[in-house]
Amino acid sequence: MLQVPEHSDYFALFEMPRKLWIEMGALEQKFLQLSWKLHPDNFVNATPEEREISLKRSSELNDAYRTLRDPVGRVEYLLAIEGARIEGQNKQQAPPELLEEVFELNESLDELREARDSGSDVASLKQRLEMAEKNFQEKLQEVDGQLQSAAKDWDKGMEGNFGAGARRTAMAGLNELLNRRSYIRNLVVNVQKELL
Amino acid sequence: MPRIVGIDLGTTNSLVAYVDPQTGAPKCIPGPTGSTLCPSVVSLDPDGSIIVGQPAQRRLLTQPERTIYSVKRLMGRGPADVQGELRLFPFRIDPASKNVIRVQLGDKVLTPPEISSFILRELKHWAEAYFTEAVDRAVITVPAYFNDAQRQATKDAGRLAGLEVLRLVNEPTAAALAYGLHEKQRGKVAVYDLGGGTFDISVLKLISTVEGDIYQVLSTNGDTHLGGDDIDNLLQAFVHEHILQHDQIDFSPHGEVAQELRRALIDVKHRLSDADAATLRFPLPNGKVFTREFTRGELEALIRPIVDRTMAPVKQALADAQLKPKEIDEIVLVGGTTRTPLIRRTVQEYFDRKPHTELNPDEVVALGAAVQANILDRGVKNMLLLDVIPLSLGIETYGGAVAKVIPRNATIPASAQELYTTGVDNQTGIDIHVLQGERELAKDCRSLARFTLRVPPAPAGLPRIEVKFLIDANGILQVGAKDIRTGEEHMVEVQPSYGLKDADIERMLEESIEYAEQDFTERQVIEARTESESILTATAKALKNPRAETLDAKERASVESSVLALQEAVKGSDYKSIRKKIDDLNHATGHLAELLMNSAVQSALEGKKLAEV
Repeated sequence: MLQVPEHSDYFALFEMPRKLWIEMGALEQKFLQLSWKLHPDNFVNATPEEREISLKRSSELNDAYRTLRDPVGRVEYLLAIEGARIEGQNKQQAPPELLEEVFELNESLDELREARDSGSDVASLKQRLEMAEKNFQEKLQEVDGQLQSAAKDWDKGMEGNFGAGARRTAMAGLNELLNRRSYIRNLVVNVQKELL
Repeated sequence: MPRIVGIDLGTTNSLVAYVDPQTGAPKCIPGPTGSTLCPSVVSLDPDGSIIVGQPAQRRLLTQPERTIYSVKRLMGRGPADVQGELRLFPFRIDPASKNVIRVQLGDKVLTPPEISSFILRELKHWAEAYFTEAVDRAVITVPAYFNDAQRQATKDAGRLAGLEVLRLVNEPTAAALAYGLHEKQRGKVAVYDLGGGTFDISVLKLISTVEGDIYQVLSTNGDTHLGGDDIDNLLQAFVHEHILQHDQIDFSPHGEVAQELRRALIDVKHRLSDADAATLRFPLPNGKVFTREFTRGELEALIRPIVDRTMAPVKQALADAQLKPKEIDEIVLVGGTTRTPLIRRTVQEYFDRKPHTELNPDEVVALGAAVQANILDRGVKNMLLLDVIPLSLGIETYGGAVAKVIPRNATIPASAQELYTTGVDNQTGIDIHVLQGERELAKDCRSLARFTLRVPPAPAGLPRIEVKFLIDANGILQVGAKDIRTGEEHMVEVQPSYGLKDADIERMLEESIEYAEQDFTERQVIEARTESESILTATAKALKNPRAETLDAKERASVESSVLALQEAVKGSDYKSIRKKIDDLNHATGHLAELLMNSAVQSALEGKKLAEV
């Protein structure tokens, strides 16, 4: 276990640069290799201190693998360790360009709830919501696409000469996309809940 | 170092297994009757002794109020959780039960972990008799879908049985280990495990690396209250209803007659796994015999809803592993209930592949537990098991919502950190409620624990307490807290919502002495002393016999010195030394024994020990 040095962050643990495109096969291989060394199964007959360390280090390894494997989780983590993750001030506040659509959606949701309470027909309302859900699913895909290309830009910057200003701008861009994504995702989840 | 055994603590049957160091193959240990299956039935005799296994099973018919089966269904659950079970199972829950269920068994009130500990003790004794050495460490299997409380309850049962539980292993994972070793399988494997009371589905990836084989669980799902028991309940309700209508006999659903009917129906169910039809002949209390033929088709129509209920978890597990049915390379069937042809057919159709059934579905989980025990014990370095947490871990937030901190199917050990602060000046505590489950609201999830973080008085928002939630390799939660400002770390005393507190266990351990349970060494010493007494008495008597006169002086001296040595050894408590001296004395008195025998029967008694003459 002592052969595996402790690292300050997940990227360092996997001996990878802080880049957002990760080759999954290499990540998995490294994960399995480290698992052999750190897993608590190896330390059943060891001292309580060693068992404690193995538990801590192997949980860190698993947390790291879980985070880096997930494309969105990876961006969030990168921003967090760079000190650039700022969650939306008000998660309930819609991005300006979505205001109109969100307003309509909320109206439809209210109507559906009212119709349910009064026992009237909900089929057409449901249909309208399904349309809206589809619309926001598409927006979610759109954001994911934007996030991907922003991630590529980040990697390019990391490979070349990333000026401090450009680096800050890139992170702010990623941060905004993450907030936008989480807002839209919440909308989709809420609609799906009503449609169940 | 004493051996570590693998134990399958099942709803219907329990087993204990070990890995034979010579062959490297896992093997189940038989009990006194020669069977490797110990029915998970516990009976409390009026004299206070505990009876487990087959003899207890017979008492289900004669003393049902002193006997309990399927106690696994109650593990880690609160009284409110089991109301549904009470209609179907003869559990007599103590109405005074609060968070932990207490069951009335004869004149005693016991918790499920205590009752399970009797089963574990029985298996411990089987293993000790088999190895003739003490066994005090074990790997115990649990359904993959068991939550934290159910796991903790199982661990508590081990502790109460005098076993250090080195690891809880998920049953389907254990089965995969046993199969992997047996079949040298590779690729993606789905394990469908339908036991007596629980259903699990696990999807694994078997990977060969230069260091050895890795069994990585990708996803798991299930239902901890779905199994063969439910089939039996359906059959029982069906026939009970029939008898009520046609014979106007209504017997208590939990009395002796019901138990006999249940056993007869289980027999019919088993026969229908091979035959197309089976006849139930059941003597009714009014002297008539209820006779009815069941066809397999009829049974299948009756149990189809149960089989269908297993498919939703199967689909979810595949979705979580991001795999389609056709991407699964192998399917393994585990649990006695998978002998049912309808289940085999349903699984085969869904995956479009013939499932593996080569290993005995009753034994395979115990065999896998033995493999894991061997990995832990002998430090087997060429196999590694990476398992997952079956249900997401979450924290209650404002408005009764749940914030997930560790998602389901995360590889364990796993952890998450959350930062807490105060909302008002000089607040000294922050209440934290930990939950497990997939639902969005706290009230729909399983409450694991509530605790209060102690905070030094300070202006609101100034304290920074980092709470670390850690799921260990057993799938059990630990909580630690760190004051970011002072760097001070401490473990948080977590009050389990549905579990025994440490103090409860200590008290139970003390009380368990009243069940006249000695540890292995003590029992050995007592047995050796008893045997010494009888051989010493026999020797003294023999030396006074006139025929002993012909013994020569050297032989007499040898007998006498062996007697002295044994008398000395008995004063100590080293049973191995006592046994050695018994053997010595037996050896020294060989000729004396011959002299005492009537020459006519001498040949028949050749080789007998003195105490047996």
